[in-house]
Amino acid sequence: MYIVIAGAGRLGLILAKRLTEDKHQVCLIDKSQRLCGLLARELDKVMIICGDATYPEILREAQIEKADVSVAATSGDEDNIIISYLAKELFGIKRTVSRVNDPKHIPLYKYMKVDNPVDSTSIIARVVEEEASFSDVMNLLSIKKGRLSIVRVDIPENSPVANKSLKDIKLPANSVLISILRGPEIVIPSGSTSILPGDEIIAATLIDSEADLTKSLIGKV
Amino acid sequence: MRYIIIVGCSRTGRVLARELSNTDNVVIIDKDLKKLDSFKEDFNGKKIWADALDVNTLEKAGIKEADALFLLTGNDNLNLVVGKVAKRKYKIKKIILQVNDTMKKKIFGEEGLTVINKTYLLGEVLKKCIS
Repeated sequence: MYIVIAGAGRLGLILAKRLTEDKHQVCLIDKSQRLCGLLARELDKVMIICGDATYPEILREAQIEKADVSVAATSGDEDNIIISYLAKELFGIKRTVSRVNDPKHIPLYKYMKVDNPVDSTSIIARVVEEEASFSDVMNLLSIKKGRLSIVRVDIPENSPVANKSLKDIKLPANSVLISILRGPEIVIPSGSTSILPGDEIIAATLIDSEADLTKSLIGKV
Repeated sequence: MRYIIIVGCSRTGRVLARELSNTDNVVIIDKDLKKLDSFKEDFNGKKIWADALDVNTLEKAGIKEADALFLLTGNDNLNLVVGKVAKRKYKIKKIILQVNDTMKKKIFGEEGLTVINKTYLLGEVLKKCIS
């Protein structure tokens, strides 16, 4: 794929490096002449363009019209929105991804139709929250604005389902077990599979059923 | 009285706010408190110290009732984003915004969204002077 990244801050840079390692073609745009000079020497597989990516001529120089994805990763939310807007409206890019610097600005990203605004602040806050709650349940992924969750549940010794086979366990409606991680093994469960203490269970559940699922697997909420 | 919101306490913003506040309901928004404090008794409007990219700020300023919105910060992209959103989401009839770049004036101008470029404007005036 060809990916254009605007903003060579920490995020833009790590993204450019990883994507080139995965054999993607990457173009990185940044305003700072000094930084671009350094990067041109360091990243020999990445095309570096020095300029303000909120200007169409700079995006044209980056041949953004050939890009499969555009990533706006500058530290200014108004700049990221304009970059994504130009990519979409002027150059017809199908998929625009953008970093959200301040979660308060998310509504503007939505109104301006940025496909995928990534709010790192809220993501980190949620991870910290999960860690701090010492929960046996960890939310791995939220889909459809959080209505569907993929969760990881650690099965404790005293779990009501420990050493039972799946066909004898009653799970709440709208929940399904996807797999069991047992040491190095990944088990795709069937009716005769037993759940053992220490297992990590990956399950999909609707948000309303998450508490019930937790209760049936570890005995408490 | 018309209800007018001005974003950006730039020189232009300040002059406009001061004059309009004699005849209209004016709210001015800026994220720099010092600039807002520079208004003395000669301004009869409301001042809001906040970030205009936050829709809560716009709603607090009464954007739903506004007759006109001026975007006069020195930041082209901010002016454009807030202007577009004001039109799409809040359906403001008159939106006037300032950009420093002539190219952006062409791309972003649309019906109900007047994009003003000082350099272009001055050029037109200068041409008129010799016509």
